[in-house]
Amino acid sequence: MTDELEQLYQSTYTAVVRFLYRKVWDAERAEDLAQEVFVRALAHRPEKPRAWVFAVAANLARDEARAAVRRKRHLTLLKGDPIAQPAMAPAADDSVEHDEQVASVQEALNTLTPRDREILLLWDAGLSYPEIAAQTGLAVGAVGTTLARARRRLVEAHDRQQSNTGTDAAHS
Amino acid sequence: MRHIPEDELHAYLDQGLSRSQCVEIESHLADCPACQATRDRIAALRDRTTALLARLAPARSLPPPFDTLRRRAAEQASERRRRLQNALWVASLAVAVGLGWAGSYFLGPASARRSPARVANAASPAAEPQPSAKAPPKTSIAVNQPAAARPAPALRDSMPRRVKSRPAEVKRGAREVRSDSATAAVLAVLNPSPASELSVLDTARSEGSEFGGMWRTMSWDGAEAEAGQPLPHIDGLPVVQVQVQAVEQGRRPLMVVAQQLSSGQVIRTIEGPATDVSQLLARRVSDPDSVVLRTDSSTPRPEVVSQAMAMQVGDRMLAITGSLPPDSLRAMIRRLNAEMRSK
Repeated sequence: MTDELEQLYQSTYTAVVRFLYRKVWDAERAEDLAQEVFVRALAHRPEKPRAWVFAVAANLARDEARAAVRRKRHLTLLKGDPIAQPAMAPAADDSVEHDEQVASVQEALNTLTPRDREILLLWDAGLSYPEIAAQTGLAVGAVGTTLARARRRLVEAHDRQQSNTGTDAAHS
Repeated sequence: MRHIPEDELHAYLDQGLSRSQCVEIESHLADCPACQATRDRIAALRDRTTALLARLAPARSLPPPFDTLRRRAAEQASERRRRLQNALWVASLAVAVGLGWAGSYFLGPASARRSPARVANAASPAAEPQPSAKAPPKTSIAVNQPAAARPAPALRDSMPRRVKSRPAEVKRGAREVRSDSATAAVLAVLNPSPASELSVLDTARSEGSEFGGMWRTMSWDGAEAEAGQPLPHIDGLPVVQVQVQAVEQGRRPLMVVAQQLSSGQVIRTIEGPATDVSQLLARRVSDPDSVVLRTDSSTPRPEVVSQAMAMQVGDRMLAITGSLPPDSLRAMIRRLNAEMRSK
């Protein structure tokens, strides 16, 4: 039992961190949450650990986002400013170009509906259609439809941005 | 020929289809260049999505050893256990305090509220059953002795020891009564309910050892409804407890009403089938601990021990018990019998 969970940990830890990172946009926080997920799995001993781990990760990320919004509001009230855009800046990296690339994907991802985004991220984290269906309450047959739409929209949004920044660059 | 919808091609490439669906799609793809083109386009879209999302990955870090997480899980489990134990302890404390409150609320003042006239002349029946020279005239003692307000010392000694859950409150209550003894004594005569509220805890606790059998503590109204007749009681005394024990089918139950004198003593009036009542009395007399409110040991009152007086009417028996002189009990049970019959 423990061995099974440990194997899952070795095989999916990185995927869970990545999944969380795309929701909380903080690498360190994503790792903390991922570890918390597995600590909880040790206490709960879920029957389907893989699906369970991602379900709990999604819940933790949601709680985290709510708390972040509350903090944000509080800060905004203190400053007396209008509510600013959520902090989406990823952790500083070495190259500016890389940063821009990351930001553009991030923005493209934000144009998706929450449901489309969730399913795309779950798929990318390695969950199967039945697992995604079980976690989101979607029919298995609808997962393909949702993924088709999400992929199309993500790529379209990204391409639109690239062409926009391209024309901006040309003008300036 | 029907072309394959794009959604299905996504599912096909994602391996989200059943084996038979895959076979169907593959056989169609083999003969349909249009669908082959669509498949290639969708495969490219998939790859692009994956590539885009791959940029949104934190710098890869090694997972901490699994044993670290195991230790954390164990720590959290013991912390949860500890918190649960604390919660249970707090809950049991709350239940104990709540029971005490409920007892005082429903039994003591409730009966007083029901009939204010009874409380108004509460002092008179308390004084009345002590006409003999043997019995100390309690009401006057209470007024004359500064250390009196007799219930206070008794409560102070018994409460913290017996009822662990409310020591602070009870002590404070006792101290207040003592600190202003003259006023308290007058209060004890005029309005016995504060003392009765405190003593409810005490009587409720001793209920188990007091009488054997399946007793239920009930509200006055509930017990009266169950009995189908007025409950046996002394008019004018605050009721601290009503207990009912069911007997054979179709017969009126065995009832015990505990009431408190202004001195703080508890007397019980009992009504029920003659055999049950006499058994009850026999058990009580053989049990020396059955005196409910023990008097303060520093106050010598050797002549007052728990007494019982009974009167049989047909197959029913009426009885009264309390730490009162036999003359007082006899006077009370006569009056009680007359009242019960007149109703």
